[in-house]
Amino acid sequence: MKNLKKYLLLSAISLAIVSCSNDDGSSAANNVTLEFANTFKEKTIVLGGATSTSATVNVSAEGQTHHFSELKYVISNIRLVKNDGNEIPYNANDLDKGATVINQAKPETLNYVLNNIPKGEYKQIKFGLGVRSDLNTLDEVRFPVFYAAAGANDTEMMWEWGTGYRFTKIEGFYESDNKEMSIHTGSTIEDGDDGKQKQGVDAYRDVTLNLPENAVVGSLSPKIVIKADFDKLLSGKSNTIKLSTGTGSDDNATPNIHTAVQMVKFVDNLGGNGTSDISGMFSVVSVK
Amino acid sequence: MEVIKRKIIFIAVMLLISCSSDDYEDIVLDNFEIELVVPSYFPQWNPAALNNKPTKYGVQLGEKLFTDKRLSKDNTISCSSCHIRAYAYADDNTQAIGIQQRAGLRNTPPIQNLLFMKFYNWDGSKLSLENQPIVPIITHEEMDSSILEVIQKIKNDISYRVLFQKAFGDESITPERIYKSIAQYEYTLISADSKYDRVMNNKEKFTSQETYGYSIFTQKCAGCHSGALFTDQSFRNIGFPVNHNSNEAGRARITGDSKDYMSFRVPSLRNIEYTAPYGSFGQFTSLKEVLDYFDAGVLYSDNLDTIFKNNSNRIVLSEEEKEALIQFMKTLSDTRFISK
Repeated sequence: MKNLKKYLLLSAISLAIVSCSNDDGSSAANNVTLEFANTFKEKTIVLGGATSTSATVNVSAEGQTHHFSELKYVISNIRLVKNDGNEIPYNANDLDKGATVINQAKPETLNYVLNNIPKGEYKQIKFGLGVRSDLNTLDEVRFPVFYAAAGANDTEMMWEWGTGYRFTKIEGFYESDNKEMSIHTGSTIEDGDDGKQKQGVDAYRDVTLNLPENAVVGSLSPKIVIKADFDKLLSGKSNTIKLSTGTGSDDNATPNIHTAVQMVKFVDNLGGNGTSDISGMFSVVSVK
Repeated sequence: MEVIKRKIIFIAVMLLISCSSDDYEDIVLDNFEIELVVPSYFPQWNPAALNNKPTKYGVQLGEKLFTDKRLSKDNTISCSSCHIRAYAYADDNTQAIGIQQRAGLRNTPPIQNLLFMKFYNWDGSKLSLENQPIVPIITHEEMDSSILEVIQKIKNDISYRVLFQKAFGDESITPERIYKSIAQYEYTLISADSKYDRVMNNKEKFTSQETYGYSIFTQKCAGCHSGALFTDQSFRNIGFPVNHNSNEAGRARITGDSKDYMSFRVPSLRNIEYTAPYGSFGQFTSLKEVLDYFDAGVLYSDNLDTIFKNNSNRIVLSEEEKEALIQFMKTLSDTRFISK
């Protein structure tokens, strides 16, 4: 009898503790939404075909008009940095739960919700444009969700011959005669089995952005609005690029961008060069 | 007494353990490493092969997968649809043809002596053969499938389950095992029994024309087509007619180095008689055409190979020399390899 009482008491106490911690749970973590605003300078990009009249037209530093018909890129390896410098990775090693394809043609992809972010004040966000080399293996068994999302017919974010993902896929038109532009980026890195041989280009870029004001997570679930200014594609911090159409190695507008030769210039403009520029085309416009 | 009892129990337990592991050992011992006959003058193995040595059942499994049309989305083509033995595991199309007659970017490469190659594919995009099979499986112009789709199709096939068990110790079918076994099979495709090899081993003699061809070859070709595989495994732009497909940049699409633009791996000349048409996208229908092109002069570009740049962009060859060269190249044919 005495024992029974003890047990009951113990259970009651533990229940109380459990429920307490549960209560704490609801205010200890909350969602953070990343909203991607794809623009040409301040104007939101409207996509359109060759002769579209509604598509947003941009002019590059070299004076070339251009507009996009397709605009996609991969965000992964997201980390939120607390005021005290502590970095909170968000499923950074899991493409299924921590990576997404932003597709300007699909509004629902422009908001990416990070679930269950620990309570705290965050001053900075870091993420990757593209996929880190160690995860960029088209491993369908490990990451079936992301593999399917990237490989879907209306996504086409796979680079079969490089057995990796496309990191950026931009299709569009330039100059008054609407010549095609097609800019695809992705890594071609490969290591030999003995680790001695290495080759290829790493098109993954780690981006670091300071928040204009702290994002406070707890009872609130803030939204971080990230601007991706595609004006920088041709008129970036790293390179001023003039598009040219043709079949030579310097002709960069048509998808010989698949060739890593011209690709890196676009990659550095979009995601930064990793040294003097760690933000590329990205900036945080507001925290709501 | 107590000690003896314990000992007996201990021995009994040991016996039981060894009994059960005997069954397992049987399988493992049965799946022996295949002894590959390789001439001493062949290059070293690719390091990846040292970690994936061909075994009896690994190779059997690899060959079964290699010839299985279920690797393609609509079950119409297998690896062996393009890699045909009679053509030294290449084919006779200018560019590879995948499901639904989709044309690929490049000429199907022969599969031979891959054990000794440092790079795979014309642009050397892969450094390990185990990383290669996924490419044709997922490529739209080739099999247009996915590895899970393949596994789904074969997983209930009892003959596969038996082979996976024998090759890898249990029935589980994983992508890695598929890639490894296909690579193991390919490693065993060694061509080293041509007339040239027999001449080198003093078992046969060149005809006078072949001897003449060999001397021309040594002077004018062996700078790139060197060593036992008749390739130095380098990448060069030799001014062949250019494939204007916007996906083509040769090795540059891997390295991002403009010096590699439209450069391709120097092809092995072994079994070259069987692998027409020639060039990265089948620009030449015959060896004679290739030699005529070299003689007439190749396309100039900034990164044209220095051997051509230093010789007015050509390899000067008389008709007599061309004929002799072709006869010599035919001594690199391995009839047993293409018909075994």
